[in-house]
Amino acid sequence: MKRTLLLFVALSALVLVLVGCSDTSALETENANLKAENEAMKAENEAMKAQIEEGMAMLAAGTLPMGDGESRLNTVRERGKVICASRDDVPGYGGIDAAGNNVGFDIDLCRALATAVLGDPSAIEIRLINAAERGPTIQSGEVDMLVRTVTWTSSRDAGWGNYAQTMFYDGQGFMVRADSGITDALELEGATVCVTLGTTTELNLQDFSDQNGLGITVSTFEDTDAVVAAYDAGQCDSFTNDNSQLAALRTALSNPADHVILPNTISEEPLGPVVPHGDDQWFDIVKTVMAILIYGEAYGISQSDVPSAATDNTKVDRLLGISGAFGQEELGLSETVAQDVLKAVGNYGEIYDRNLGPSGINLPREGGRNALWANAPCTDCPKGGQIYAAPLR
Amino acid sequence: MDSASRLLTYQGIPVWRHVQIIQWAVQIVSGILVVALVVWFFSNMVGAIQDRDIPSGFSFLSREYQTPIGEHFIPYESSDTFLYALLVGITNTAIVAVAGVFLATALGIFIGVSRLSSNWIVSKLAMVYIEFFRNVPLLVQLFFWFYIVLELPAIRESFVVADAFYLSNRGFSMPWPKATEYSVAVIWLGLAAVAIVAGWLVYRRQARMEEQTGRSGYPLIYSFATALVIGAIAWLILSFAGGSSPFYISMPEPQGRFGNIVGGFTARAGLLVLLTGLVMYTASFIAEIVRAGIQSVGRGQTEAARALGLSPMSTLRSVTFPQAMRVIIPPLISQFLNLTKNSSLGGAVAYSDLTNIAVTMTQTAPAVSIFMLIMASYLAMSLTWSLIGNLYNRHIRFVGG
Repeated sequence: MKRTLLLFVALSALVLVLVGCSDTSALETENANLKAENEAMKAENEAMKAQIEEGMAMLAAGTLPMGDGESRLNTVRERGKVICASRDDVPGYGGIDAAGNNVGFDIDLCRALATAVLGDPSAIEIRLINAAERGPTIQSGEVDMLVRTVTWTSSRDAGWGNYAQTMFYDGQGFMVRADSGITDALELEGATVCVTLGTTTELNLQDFSDQNGLGITVSTFEDTDAVVAAYDAGQCDSFTNDNSQLAALRTALSNPADHVILPNTISEEPLGPVVPHGDDQWFDIVKTVMAILIYGEAYGISQSDVPSAATDNTKVDRLLGISGAFGQEELGLSETVAQDVLKAVGNYGEIYDRNLGPSGINLPREGGRNALWANAPCTDCPKGGQIYAAPLR
Repeated sequence: MDSASRLLTYQGIPVWRHVQIIQWAVQIVSGILVVALVVWFFSNMVGAIQDRDIPSGFSFLSREYQTPIGEHFIPYESSDTFLYALLVGITNTAIVAVAGVFLATALGIFIGVSRLSSNWIVSKLAMVYIEFFRNVPLLVQLFFWFYIVLELPAIRESFVVADAFYLSNRGFSMPWPKATEYSVAVIWLGLAAVAIVAGWLVYRRQARMEEQTGRSGYPLIYSFATALVIGAIAWLILSFAGGSSPFYISMPEPQGRFGNIVGGFTARAGLLVLLTGLVMYTASFIAEIVRAGIQSVGRGQTEAARALGLSPMSTLRSVTFPQAMRVIIPPLISQFLNLTKNSSLGGAVAYSDLTNIAVTMTQTAPAVSIFMLIMASYLAMSLTWSLIGNLYNRHIRFVGG
């Protein structure tokens, strides 16, 4: 007790002496040094405090340092890479190549975006998520873009994030064993159907079953891999998904020839990238990048031959940033963003062919919905489809 | 002396070393910290929801769900509401939890006792079981069982026993009583409950008489007879009054071009896989708890029982186990909680447990609200287990000194 008191008194005395020092002229030089040191420490303190306060503000405002004043474009540029949520379990859309890289249609859209905002198609980070995780992932804003065969629906648009552009028109279909003799989905009465958890196909299946009085029983699996395994082993009579994914996944079955995809398409499944709510500039950038890919094909600009000097077509010149503009400055993109993007990943048709077309999972395109609509200067590009984007000008 | 002057002349332990004051200070500070943390988490969540325009609210609960549910033990139509669909999920989870707890406890006790067997082979087999199932992640085990079930014959080549039991890679079907008419069935079930209570009362009365007089009161026989007679009379009266018996036996039967089983009771593959996985996994932990409980009973107790001439089985049943229960119950309850919560892995193997249904719901309803409801549901189920455990614990504790 006494000792503590003594210590306290001693400490107080020391403090008093230190404070009093500033008045003693004898110690002036030393004092000046101390003062300077003090100032420096103060400044350092202030800086640290500001940093802590900034951090606290960030934590209080949300969960991650984005949104709220700072634009996502700046955040992405500071980070140096674009984060996309995607998948690796469906060849063509999001798969893995022999070297272990993420490849696919969806992945290429992410690479196009990375090229547009960072100038580097490899500046991407792919977050692998399952179907049910898509909503929460994009809602939280932890990724810059969600490209994982996401069907555009009104309630997702309202609740999840903003859909930028339909990049693929799909529809839900059914796969059955060829020896079941079924040729039409309406014959699926009393069938057990396997489906992936958290997908629109799960919802559409109920509508289809109710409307036609089929009394379908579902088996809902979290992972597409499990759905495929269960169907392959005969745990379900049919397997439902988007038609194009069925085609891709059929190749993964033990004997693909034993299975047929029924001709029925029971729903509309427009697929495209989604961005988090709350940043219009970022939303517009993604829309513009998707439009660049589409118009790249419409104007016949291929990856291997992107003009960098004036051509005889003003539309091409404007797209490539050679003359005129289509809003690059307002979006914070470089004048020649289209040149960079098309050189890095190619145009829409090339991306399609590489992943979904002849060099990919071989989905027909010509004459289908995923052909271009465009009345384009190229004479031999497919037409009459629904792939279309707002004019770039 | 007034309190102020007493404070001034206070000569006891200094404040900063006063145990009581320190304890109070710690309590207050930690209380404030906890409250602050909760407030911060909550306000952070609310802020984030507002910032990102994430939908929330609970108005969706009365909307039609319009989504398929693979497995339901209470009637479900796609026109039922979200709230009802959640209830379907809760029943599905509760069924797995209750069935799992019973099976896991039975298996766990068996393995735990085997672990202590003097038979070397039995004891080592039990050890291998425990170490294997305790140390492999549950999700991996579920996939293991999932692929084993897939290897069972397809529905058309089902194993069939007596045209009544079917086993295929889609599940296991068996005959099951079904209500002829719900209202009649419910009345009979109510009367059956009365019969059981009456039987129990008779048992108590006879047992007490036996204890007091030393004459055999045959409590088991009397109680069973009472319950059976009341139940049977109720059944007969209802059958005559209603024109048909309250329940009939529904037989499983393959139907339609796909040969899917209709009628009876079918445990679909998802339920089989999930239940097997949960039971095997949890039983390994329960076995260890049982072993620890038995070993906690003093050796003298067993030796005394044997000296009195009790057989090993009677020793275990009447001497060792009742005392071991006191040690076993608390950790056992936490295993029940684990099993209940682990059933949320059902989605991986296509069982429509609460979490599986809830995740589907997030497609058409606010995820934040749904997950709040899910957390509340699991909390309620866990607290129910705890309550049962605590009541039982109070029942078996040492009485007196």
